[in-house]
Amino acid sequence: MLRIEGLSAGYSAKPVLNDVSINVGAGQFVAIVGPNGAGKTTLFKTISGIVKPSGGAITFDGVDLLAVPPPQRAHLGIAHVPEGRQVFPSLTVMENLEMGAMTESGRRDWKANIERIFEWLPVLKERRDQFAGTMSGGQQQMLAIGRGLASSPKLLMLDEPSMGLAPSTADFIFERLIDIRRQSGLTMLLVEQRVAEALESADHGYVLEAGHVVLEGNNDTLRADDRVRKAYLGM
Amino acid sequence: MEGFLQALAAGLLIGAVYGLMCVGLGLIFGVMRVINFAHGDFMMLGMYAAFYLFTAAGIQSLFGNTVGPFVAILLAGPVLAVFGYFVHLALISRVSGTRTASLEGEGHYAQLILTLGIALILQNGGLIVFGSVLASIRTPLSSSAWELNPFLDIGIFLNKARSIDAIVSLAIMILLSLLITRTRIGKSLRAAADNPTAATYMGIDVDRAHRTAFALGCGITAIAGGLLATNYPFHPFVGLEYVIVMYAGVVLGGMGSIIGAFWGGMTIGLVQQMSTLILPTQLQNAAIFAVFLLIIFFRPQGFFGRMVERT
Repeated sequence: MLRIEGLSAGYSAKPVLNDVSINVGAGQFVAIVGPNGAGKTTLFKTISGIVKPSGGAITFDGVDLLAVPPPQRAHLGIAHVPEGRQVFPSLTVMENLEMGAMTESGRRDWKANIERIFEWLPVLKERRDQFAGTMSGGQQQMLAIGRGLASSPKLLMLDEPSMGLAPSTADFIFERLIDIRRQSGLTMLLVEQRVAEALESADHGYVLEAGHVVLEGNNDTLRADDRVRKAYLGM
Repeated sequence: MEGFLQALAAGLLIGAVYGLMCVGLGLIFGVMRVINFAHGDFMMLGMYAAFYLFTAAGIQSLFGNTVGPFVAILLAGPVLAVFGYFVHLALISRVSGTRTASLEGEGHYAQLILTLGIALILQNGGLIVFGSVLASIRTPLSSSAWELNPFLDIGIFLNKARSIDAIVSLAIMILLSLLITRTRIGKSLRAAADNPTAATYMGIDVDRAHRTAFALGCGITAIAGGLLATNYPFHPFVGLEYVIVMYAGVVLGGMGSIIGAFWGGMTIGLVQQMSTLILPTQLQNAAIFAVFLLIIFFRPQGFFGRMVERT
């Protein structure tokens, strides 16, 4: 569904991403793990069009994504749940969800989507009229996820949903994501520093270090790999 | 007592029009974060647009001297909105929005120079095209008044033109608030203001949102300018006199708050009129800035300033 080939990108002459190739099949749950500064967020920003690549190709559903203007990419079915949540602070929870549903499919499925989102993340229903900027980090993260789901995406991209959250809140959000995935069969691409959790639930994983894919495989291969065990899993 | 009520009434009436004028600028600043020095001159163009629509475009003969000016003023709004749309498309969009999002200072220096340049061109171009003679949009209503008797022995006079100006301003303000709080377009403008990057992730074209806000802001201020012109004569450099008041109103209301800008403008109108009770008329504007400094000293974020800043 999403195919990234030989992608290089960065903010100045020195690239942050170097010849990165990643493949996400329809219905798959793919995790990208790696340390701080590996280029995980830059990869997502390149997919969404905020960062322009210096080389390589991205195709989504057979469409050459790099030829599509950034605001149009959401309309193709890519939902980006950004790093640090980035909800709209002066809009209410409900208005944030409506912004998620700016896409044609989001508008069409609004009623059904909002029901499911409220079922998965009931705190959003309780706080529907509250300004998003006044909510806790965990609640904002749930709103960011709900906002992504409201677009009826084909691909949900999650950038470190556990960042800055208490471990118990992060666990809760992970469980919700796994539930959502099980019930909806949605294709997901996850970037995460909590390597153990990410690899446990994903079908396929990539290890990104200093802008390179250093390792890839399904979760058994990765978890069996000595380097992953030592560097990320503490075993 | 009578003088106080009279000044209060005059302040509320002029304050509503100042409020509308400030909202036009507040909308542009709130959504785009662009300091538009030329906004007073867009208002000047709005005044002349209303003037020529009234006198030269046949509205005077069609609607007469009483209703005609207000029809012309309301039409000046869309005219300046279209003008603003193209100014943004051709000039402002080159130094703002997604093109400069990655630059240091987000292109603010270029924006200052560009809008200052537009201001100079409009002022001096206006002088060539419109001449230096004072113009005004006079209606018979400008020189007549309604008398109100809130208490038996006290009468206050409400200038008819100014009263209608205030009502028109309030009506437009209500329509605008409905637009930005209830409609999809309005909500997407606020989302683009809150976080342009996240708005792009939602599929909102941020540059198009900016263009909409700029056009709307120009149209609204043009209408406010036309309304002011029913009582105050104007000339091609009149924008300079008002742009400072506009910025004071926007800052008072809270940078970024669109509704706040209206109350900022309202406060300025009230202070200006009330100050005449104790100060000579020449000190009206000094009084505005004395109060402005006081309010900013105690409440630096303005009346409706957002404590939650965009990330």
